[in-house]
Amino acid sequence: MSGKEEKEVEISIRDVGVAFCDNAGNHVQALTGVNLDIYKGEFVALLGPSGCGKTTLLRSVCDLQEVTEGEIRISGKTPGEIRLEQKFGFVFQQPVLLSWRTVKKNVELPLEIMYYSKADRSKRADEMLQMVGLSDFADHYPGQLSGGMQQRANIARAFGLRPDILLMDEPFSALDEFTKEKLHMDLLQIWSETNKTILFVTHNIQEAVLLSDRVCVLSPHPGRLSAVVDIDLPRDRTLEMKETAHFNELVSKVRNSFEGGSV
Amino acid sequence: MAQKRKRKKRLYQRIRENKRLQSAETVVLPVMLGIAIFLLWQGGIVHQWFHTDVFTLPLPTKIGSIMGDNIDKILENTFSTVSVAFIGLALGCILGYLFAVLAAVFPRIGSGGLGIIGAFASIPVVALAPVMNNWTRDLSKEASIRSMASKIIVVMLISAANMSLNAYRGLTEVKPFSEDLMAIYTTKKRVVLWKLRIPNSLPYVFIALKVAVPSSIMTAIVSEYFAEYITGVGRQIRENIVLAQYATAWAYIATACIIGVAAYVLLMVIQGLTLRRYH
Amino acid sequence: MKQRIMALSRKKWFSMAVWIFALVCVWEIGASVVAGTKRSPENILPHLYQIAVAAFSPEPVSAGMSAAAVVLTSAGATLLRALLGFACGTVLGFALALLMQLSGIVEKLVFPYLMLIQLIPVLGLAPIILSITGDINQSRIVIAAVLSFYPVAANTLAGFQSVEKEKYDLMYTYAARKSVIYKKILIPSAIPYFFTGLKIAAPMAVTASILVDTLQGDGGLGCMLSQSLKHAMSIYVFWLIVFFSAFIGIFSGYLMGRLELLVSPEKRKPRKAQKRKGN
Repeated sequence: MSGKEEKEVEISIRDVGVAFCDNAGNHVQALTGVNLDIYKGEFVALLGPSGCGKTTLLRSVCDLQEVTEGEIRISGKTPGEIRLEQKFGFVFQQPVLLSWRTVKKNVELPLEIMYYSKADRSKRADEMLQMVGLSDFADHYPGQLSGGMQQRANIARAFGLRPDILLMDEPFSALDEFTKEKLHMDLLQIWSETNKTILFVTHNIQEAVLLSDRVCVLSPHPGRLSAVVDIDLPRDRTLEMKETAHFNELVSKVRNSFEGGSV
Repeated sequence: MAQKRKRKKRLYQRIRENKRLQSAETVVLPVMLGIAIFLLWQGGIVHQWFHTDVFTLPLPTKIGSIMGDNIDKILENTFSTVSVAFIGLALGCILGYLFAVLAAVFPRIGSGGLGIIGAFASIPVVALAPVMNNWTRDLSKEASIRSMASKIIVVMLISAANMSLNAYRGLTEVKPFSEDLMAIYTTKKRVVLWKLRIPNSLPYVFIALKVAVPSSIMTAIVSEYFAEYITGVGRQIRENIVLAQYATAWAYIATACIIGVAAYVLLMVIQGLTLRRYH
Repeated sequence: MKQRIMALSRKKWFSMAVWIFALVCVWEIGASVVAGTKRSPENILPHLYQIAVAAFSPEPVSAGMSAAAVVLTSAGATLLRALLGFACGTVLGFALALLMQLSGIVEKLVFPYLMLIQLIPVLGLAPIILSITGDINQSRIVIAAVLSFYPVAANTLAGFQSVEKEKYDLMYTYAARKSVIYKKILIPSAIPYFFTGLKIAAPMAVTASILVDTLQGDGGLGCMLSQSLKHAMSIYVFWLIVFFSAFIGIFSGYLMGRLELLVSPEKRKPRKAQKRKGN
């Protein structure tokens, strides 16, 4: 924990557990006893196999899922309060674009909801589209774009809001490897420019190591936090880092921590 | 403010999560509405709203007693309407399905034909019924038989249009790659049709029937208005109104509603039995 | 050249044209046969050119008006009422769907009755509604409204319910107010379904209006149709009305499709896949 004292804790997760009833009426313990502090401006990856509760944890942070044990505090407030202050950006696994709006209008959607002026909306949407390289497709409809382009529009929409906290739920898992690598670099670029806190859910170890400052490994049955691995790769990460020995060491370390943690 | 929201949500969730309460609500609420309507009607309040009298809009009890008194005649007319609707529906569905199969096997010719059939579906029954009356005039010397044939043809055309459009979708909108998969196993169109397309179209057949069953009854009733031979529930509604026997007319309207609901319930039961293995 | 013909044959309109041509051929062959065997063939199956001639002939058939004038003036009365009723039914249907979406209690209360309206042969109610309102114009509007009401309400409700959970989640993270969710998500999502309802409702409203005409001798397409059938005027008026109403029925559905394109620009450009057309 040394060297982190000067950093400001933004999200504090204390003894959090989530339980709910599934459709068959069975009691399901999705998460139990999770303790985690996330610092301001940090890029944290939540890594684990399906059913380990990583998405549940992410949804709990932004009030989409009610916590049944423990509590989550964000800058001293509850997730619900932060949500009402409209400080979250959420990127879903599927690009949840509205088919009847153009790409630009989709990016403007949250800004409209938060009463930005028309000129502001347009300016910011243009900036965001420029950033993700979709300027030429601003007036296209989502149905006319490829999956990768749709996901880029989705990310542009989330960043356009300039949220304090960006939550990403396996945003790249449905994309091909080439698009994914490009978007990895784009995401890191945008993150370094805007310096937001990012919570990133993934089941891909390389992706988690490449992008994040810390990898939180979750294990299933019941979902719990089994290890936290610091990623000390230098910032301004590049794709070439994937070839380095240190990168592979970290990947092994994460993988071992997972196997060691799961029973 | 935030807390208020939270509590409201919890109460709402508590009601939502109580499944027994939920399913009870779905039954109790409509039944209550039904009783309310019945009381308003029986109490004459509906008559005040619509500025009408118990002669034009008889009380439910009166309609019930007339239905009881004329049960033989009502059954006779019901049989006439139901047989027209059913035979027309059956012929139309078979014809429509066969056409959809043809269109699916020979898409180049078929697709345009489906467009034409879609247009047929929009032709008003009132235009179709008199034409069919004319065309069937020489079919038989018996007015009852040629009337029936003409009514059946009208119902058949309307049902066929409905069925072919939906069945075509079922035959062609198969799961992605399943056509490719079949292409690896066989090159015979016949096999693809039997193993893939026809099973895939079954749910769509029921989508078509859900529209076609009520519309076949409606079409049968409307074509009765134009038929030469006086029979059927629809025609009785009209005849009794001409004679200013409103209570009897209402008894036939109630009969028509019962036929409609019974046919739909029957369809739902058949669908439940047939599609069970799909889930 | 041969390639161009082959490419042409793949077009949908080409195959449609072939079908129309085939239908015209069948009609004409039938007409020739009828002309050779019947004493008054125009009652059963006149040649198409005879109908066309009747449409353009200035000869008066009734009250000094030519056949085309008779059809068009009565069509004006009928279609105006159909349109009014259609508009009322559409607005009410959309409003009810919205109300049902807003309140689960209203949905539970009303939904079974909404199903029931579809099963009741509303056209059978036409004579009763006429006797309650006592005015043919009002009855036309009421019947057309009731008939267009159900498809619009049912389809729009299905549209509201088709909205994915992710979209609600997205709006939840934005802490969007309920009115915003309706304006930005629910209503736009329901628009394609709403138009599906309109496409079904528009021909039905026309049918309803014509049918109500036949009940009372007060002008309108249906009235002229029955008069012409009783040989009160040239039988060609009947044929003109049959073709005209078929055209109006088809055209009204087509018009709704064009209207939809006007409202939803994303459908105008060719889309990558046309998988989800809605049910």
